[in-house]
Amino acid sequence: MPREVEPSLNERQFVLQALQENLRLDGRELDQYRPLELNFGEEYGVADVTLGKTRVLAKATAEVTVPYTDRPLDGIFTIATELSPMTSPSFEVNRPTETEVLLSRLLEKTVRRSGALDTESLCLVAGQKCWSVRVDVHVLSHDGNLIDAACFAVVAALRHFRKPDTSMEAGVLTVYTPAEREPVPLSWLHSPFCVTWSFFGEDGEIAVLDATWLEEQVRMGSCTVSLNKHGEICQIAKLGGTPVDAVALLQCTSVALTKVKEFSELMDRRLAEDLKRRDKGGFMAQLRADNDR
Amino acid sequence: MTATTAPEAALGVLPRADGSAKYSHAGYIVTASVNGPIEAQRRDEHPYEAHVDVIVRPAAGVGGTRERHLESILQSSLAQIILVRNFPRSLIQIVLQVEHSPENDYVNTKLVQANLNFAIMPALFQTAVLALLSAGVPMKATATATAVALSHQDGSKRTIVDPSPREVETAQSVHVLAFTSHDELLLAESEGDFTVKEWDDVYETASKVCCQSALQKEGIAMVLDDEDAGGPAMRHFLRSTMESKVAADLHWK
Amino acid sequence: MATNERLFVLPGETIDPSLIPTHKKHPLRLGPGLRHIPPSDIVPTVAGQLITNPLKNSMWVEYNSHRYIPSQGDIILAQILRSTTDFYLCSIAPYSAPATLPHLAFESATKKTRPQLAPGSLVYARVSLANRHMDPELECVNPSTGKADGLGPITGNGCVFDVSLGFARRLLMARSREDGGVGVLEMLGGEEGGGLAFETAAGRNGKVWVGSESPRTVVIVGRALQETDKGGLGIEEQRRLVKRLVKEMR
Repeated sequence: MPREVEPSLNERQFVLQALQENLRLDGRELDQYRPLELNFGEEYGVADVTLGKTRVLAKATAEVTVPYTDRPLDGIFTIATELSPMTSPSFEVNRPTETEVLLSRLLEKTVRRSGALDTESLCLVAGQKCWSVRVDVHVLSHDGNLIDAACFAVVAALRHFRKPDTSMEAGVLTVYTPAEREPVPLSWLHSPFCVTWSFFGEDGEIAVLDATWLEEQVRMGSCTVSLNKHGEICQIAKLGGTPVDAVALLQCTSVALTKVKEFSELMDRRLAEDLKRRDKGGFMAQLRADNDR
Repeated sequence: MTATTAPEAALGVLPRADGSAKYSHAGYIVTASVNGPIEAQRRDEHPYEAHVDVIVRPAAGVGGTRERHLESILQSSLAQIILVRNFPRSLIQIVLQVEHSPENDYVNTKLVQANLNFAIMPALFQTAVLALLSAGVPMKATATATAVALSHQDGSKRTIVDPSPREVETAQSVHVLAFTSHDELLLAESEGDFTVKEWDDVYETASKVCCQSALQKEGIAMVLDDEDAGGPAMRHFLRSTMESKVAADLHWK
Repeated sequence: MATNERLFVLPGETIDPSLIPTHKKHPLRLGPGLRHIPPSDIVPTVAGQLITNPLKNSMWVEYNSHRYIPSQGDIILAQILRSTTDFYLCSIAPYSAPATLPHLAFESATKKTRPQLAPGSLVYARVSLANRHMDPELECVNPSTGKADGLGPITGNGCVFDVSLGFARRLLMARSREDGGVGVLEMLGGEEGGGLAFETAAGRNGKVWVGSESPRTVVIVGRALQETDKGGLGIEEQRRLVKRLVKEMR
């Protein structure tokens, strides 16, 4: 039986009292995110995201496999989030908690169902061979707002990932190893990001962005909005909690768009820096095997 | 942290764990968290000792039998150096997350049966020891570990310390040995074909790598890189890492 | 007054016998981080700095950690989990075994006049019993005098902040500024902080309660403590930190 640590009455009352005066325990504004850092690993497809004390590591990998029988023209794309006791000693391996189920469901809806990754491009031989792309999400440290950090990490990992190059000649499929041909990026359509709002107060009138673990324990309700920088909403999830005024919810969505644009710009910048770092001799353009269409 | 050949470590990287360490060596990057002594579940309670629980998570894929095997080896060796009798009915929880293992560029990756390379064991072991030291869990001694591969190529025998995945693939046998700070053999696992004489040579090489402390050869800790038995001075590395951590903690004294 | 022997030790290392203090009258006392292997071996069990005190004939290893192990006589900040017929079950460290606090272990408490504490409330208590085979026990009263000596339930506006164990020990020193290098609290109440009004209660289990009428003050003090701890700040840096926080949170 996992032992949950509850915050004291003192802390609960204080967090609410402080919020009523527009004050947060770490001195942030109500709609301010903690410093967000994105780092890539040595190999392609590893993204390390730090959001304050929350740390999430996402790793994307791909292998050739047989497609599903009811979808012969599509590749396979899965996101695995298994929380371990590293996240917190109250999590056990192989025993999914509510946090884990919600996290995995939100990532599923945001990244998979919205068609961010073009699964048709993962098909190699219709009905026989296709790519199976898998993203493993590891939460190294949990201080609140796992959803936003995990979604950011998953998107960054997929955009950073390179799958082995393939070629089809006379019905024979050749998959090249990284030593033979430079790997190629995935076919990426749009980058969705999650923004989670937490509500406090009797009528849920105080809305706060990027809650820490303590704030999450004290909140009355929450709402996660997933959208991309063009303002296209992938999903909105408000799972229970105190009822919130509809107009306030719309305002939350528009502030979310501003934040998503900032995220998008940060990710583009970090990806470009990483590409430049790897491409020191300027050979990347020559090593690419596909033509400019 | 980029994967380097010389060992590098950072302590206290996870803010919410009692102790944590990130260790990188020979292409492996592992992060470990230690929590404990905390309350154990009823089924794991031992009346006179603490229960040591090790969990190994690969970077990609779901962990399988191979990971459970590594967990049980690590658990039995770590439980011998931790002072488990000080905390009856408690739990010391060690989680090891593999972040990066060196790629074999000649082979395409296979996912679902994520098979952790045998040669990752010293990195896992070392990260666990560093994390335990960072958490201040009372221990009998510290320990260092290394991997040695024996390969017979072109008729000549070679002893390779910290083999790469390609070298592991082509080697006749791979061995992992760990020694405590009292020069006792703590862990010895081997895979492949080898003779008793060969194992003795491996033992000599490994004990030189693991038990060599600083101040060799005119007072300078050497990082040897020649063909016969090279390898970093593991014990010296461990000591200097911990010394800088303690100096930073006690800066106010 | 401890000697300034900057000797770094790792678990299992042998200690040079010349460093072990001797005294004509007092027996040698071993503090945390050392264990005695009969007949005459003293071995460190953690990585830290070996400190010897020849006056009191004692030695210990100084190190910092985050997991509190209860020890008799320590003053700590505990949180009530729930109440049973005779005692309260309290949490002194997250995920560790809970401690028991008898209902009547408060100043002048009888069955009718004892304090009624709800789950989630905080108490400032002393560890009355701690050994590895039993769950720890707490008390809020001095058993010989019957006085509380400042212990008891925490009331008033405020919040609890987590710090490392080493920092908590420094706060609890008699002269925390000179011996422990922690000047933030004085500075916050003095001119650098603009004379903020607050009170604190520090527990050896790494929890510090900061109370004040104004939530802004509580947040400033809490942040100052946590950032001094995490950043390993010296006295001058603490002064700059205090000034920055007061300005930021205007």
